[in-house]
Amino acid sequence: MAAAELSVKLQSSSGSKVKDFLNANLVNILAAVLFLLLAFFLLFPIVMVLLKSLRGAEGFTLQYYKAFFSKQYYFQSLYNTLLLGAINTVVCLVIGFCLAYMTTRGPWILRKPLKLISLIPLIAPPYLFALSLIIMFGRNGLITKMFDLHWQLYGFSGVVISQTLAFIPLAFMMIESTLMSLNPNLEESAYDMGASEATILRTITIPLLAPGLLKAGLLIFVMTIAEFGNAAILGGRTPFLAPDTYTMITGESDFNMGSVLSVILIAPCILIFFIHNYLLEGKKFTTIGGKPVASEPRKITPLIKVPFMIITTVAAGAIFICFAIVFIASFYKILGVTHNITLANYLDFTSNQSIYNSIRVSFVAALIGAVIGVLLAYVIVRGKFFGRTFIEMASLSGFALPGTVLGIGYLLAFSAPPLKLTGGIMILALNCVFRFLAVGVEAGISKLHQIHIEIEEASADLGASFLTTFYRIVLPIMFPAFIAGFLYTFMTAIVSLSAVVFLVSPGFDLAAVKIFDAAVYGEIGIASATTMKLVLIVMICMMILNFISKKTRLGSSMAPTKPT
Amino acid sequence: MSMNANEKPMLILKDIHKFYGNNEVLKGVSLEVRKGELVTFVGPSGCGKTTLLRLIGGFTDISSGDIILDGQRINDLPPNLRDTRICFQNYALFPHMTVAENVGYGLKINKWPKDKIAARVHELLEMVELDEFGDRMIDKLSGGQQQRVAFARALSLEPKVLLLDEPLSNLDANLRLVMREEIRKLQERLHITTVFVTHDQFEAMAISDRLVVMKNGLIEQVGTPIEIYERPANEFIAGFVGYVNFMDGRIESIDKTTCNAVVHTEYGQLMITLEQDDVKTGDDVLMVIRPESVSLSLDCQDKRQNVICGTLVSYMYAGSIAKCTVMIGNKKMIIDQYNPRDAQQFLHAAKVEVEIPRSVHLLKKKK
Repeated sequence: MAAAELSVKLQSSSGSKVKDFLNANLVNILAAVLFLLLAFFLLFPIVMVLLKSLRGAEGFTLQYYKAFFSKQYYFQSLYNTLLLGAINTVVCLVIGFCLAYMTTRGPWILRKPLKLISLIPLIAPPYLFALSLIIMFGRNGLITKMFDLHWQLYGFSGVVISQTLAFIPLAFMMIESTLMSLNPNLEESAYDMGASEATILRTITIPLLAPGLLKAGLLIFVMTIAEFGNAAILGGRTPFLAPDTYTMITGESDFNMGSVLSVILIAPCILIFFIHNYLLEGKKFTTIGGKPVASEPRKITPLIKVPFMIITTVAAGAIFICFAIVFIASFYKILGVTHNITLANYLDFTSNQSIYNSIRVSFVAALIGAVIGVLLAYVIVRGKFFGRTFIEMASLSGFALPGTVLGIGYLLAFSAPPLKLTGGIMILALNCVFRFLAVGVEAGISKLHQIHIEIEEASADLGASFLTTFYRIVLPIMFPAFIAGFLYTFMTAIVSLSAVVFLVSPGFDLAAVKIFDAAVYGEIGIASATTMKLVLIVMICMMILNFISKKTRLGSSMAPTKPT
Repeated sequence: MSMNANEKPMLILKDIHKFYGNNEVLKGVSLEVRKGELVTFVGPSGCGKTTLLRLIGGFTDISSGDIILDGQRINDLPPNLRDTRICFQNYALFPHMTVAENVGYGLKINKWPKDKIAARVHELLEMVELDEFGDRMIDKLSGGQQQRVAFARALSLEPKVLLLDEPLSNLDANLRLVMREEIRKLQERLHITTVFVTHDQFEAMAISDRLVVMKNGLIEQVGTPIEIYERPANEFIAGFVGYVNFMDGRIESIDKTTCNAVVHTEYGQLMITLEQDDVKTGDDVLMVIRPESVSLSLDCQDKRQNVICGTLVSYMYAGSIAKCTVMIGNKKMIIDQYNPRDAQQFLHAAKVEVEIPRSVHLLKKKK
């Protein structure tokens, strides 16, 4: 009888050879498809930029690079960009450290409010700070007029300030997470052995934090030199690489030179990405587990407390004021110039049209991004095949890539057959998908790490085929990760500017581009109101996310900007 | 081990209260610890033992009360100015330093000259038998070695009181026994006053001069291991320090000269030799009968003194010991039979006789 049953089973299974093949090779097939997608939509555009920078009218040439290095202007641009990155990184790390120190070691009553304020920029597009600086310190700015200031906002210092404010939350979150993972008993031991607060900081806390600080620093450096909005809005006549690339393409239609600028911008990013991945790999201090105790507030000496408090108060205050100013400005045509409170900015047709467009693009991007992200995560965590590391690196690298590079790359790659996409919403959506892929992949990986492989094996043991297991077990468990990936991609895409600014077609404005244009042309009210609309959308996404992560224990390990 | 009246206590805790918000985790704790004594706080989790240790170390502020160390009130001193040193459960060794740097950290902080630090570190590492390991990084050590380094580091500044927070709980069972003995030997040799925290009652009994049994933020009983085990103050303590069979009874009479008491139980009269004076004739009592104090034999023929008949319902032979469950009436009694060479005859036995010892401790029932 058993034999008969078996033969029936064998027959039925051999009945669908396709299914068998899928069962045996699904991970590999999936990997191959994803590999092709990554190659085509991520690698191909970058290669196109590289080729463009090397190809003149008569084929291969280095003339554009020669031009770059022989012109004072370009050198100045490169110098400004790197200096901006360096200053920004240091200032952000210092402020981020002070904030994180206070929220993890400081008095209980300060912890929550400080944390809240320092995370505000997360729900704001980064160029919100450029906008609010214009409102306060611009040529017609509130403070400029009130005190008859002669400070020139447009230029290096303006960009540094707005960039710093924009990147504080990233620094804060990364440093806070390393500070929290630091066993408080270590510092207490040092305290117990007679060390003062300053000595604990110098001999224990900072040395142990060093790898984390370095990581955060590298990431902030890469992201600030690539950041487009603040530099483009506030740069004035001071050249920076990212906005220069934009002018080169849109102003002078010089794709060769634009590509060279991109390659120059990408070089430090790639360098740092490798440092990040190889030098810091495994460079974490491990300690014996025990019951982790929340750090109780210590009696911090005034010597440390006072400067820390000043820095945190100034930073938190500045963030709060910038935010409030943009909010207020959204109710005036031009705050400080006109005096009637109005809702006209919120009702403005072009603004709402651009918000609608942004939602459409971001929705499509989020949907595709979440699907690809979850599948990629599965392949990366469970797969054992050649090229796995490549897939992992490629899918996580989008973050470190300057948006301008992928912007130009998409223009070069997809404006002609085989795949002509320019002018549509797909090119915008796909661009966002592959730039922000890391978000969805991270969400997926962290969820998958919570699922033991035994769960899948148990399903297989009970007789399920691979397909059934994937469909019945893996996908349902991954669903929260999918939603998280979706929301994160949506939030990130809807405020992003640097790449899409190259790709929007006339008459199809995205909100970020609309804000950028309005800010540049002095339509402060419209810019502010559109910004506030974006803030509202992102805030709603955050709330949904929060709700989901509480329900599913997805946890804070999935902080939106968490790099790897 | 009795209190020497001439010696003044090294550590005094006076009516200590601790609130976290509205939650009172210590509800008035008072204790004196003599110099050179090893006192263990033991109790179920959440009883406040670790909080009490952290209060002594200065890591948490006390809400009210006093902590007096060697005659000096130290309530307001931060940990770095207190002459107490703590050894955390997870050792909290500095992962970016070598073994020698860890052990020498406190000396360096306290500005010892270099050569003296080196000599002291060497001495300490020799003491914990790690003198070969000075240059190792912490993550290249085994758990037991890390525990020794933590111990050496805590001892480096010769503290007046050593605080040990569950120091053995991260070690596997065998190593725990070894380290327990080593810590005790060193502690006695250095004559260092030590407060030890553990949730493991057997560890507490094995290592301590005195036990402080805590529950819900209060001290339930302070005493030597023998006192705690043989003469527990209440039901909770009796059950906490080992398995116990309770039996209800009433004291019918006490013979003042022989200290013999007749206790009436539902299984007949039992003769108890009293070692306590807190009970009198007519009291309702709970008899504390330890599994190992009862002897078990086959059959149930003559009615001897203190013998009760029962039915053996399970007999689990485990080599050095056999765990027997006997039903007496409808009550279960657990009996440990040590060295059960004659186990074979019990395997199929049903009727057994159980002999209750005369030295049973009595808990007076509250009315």
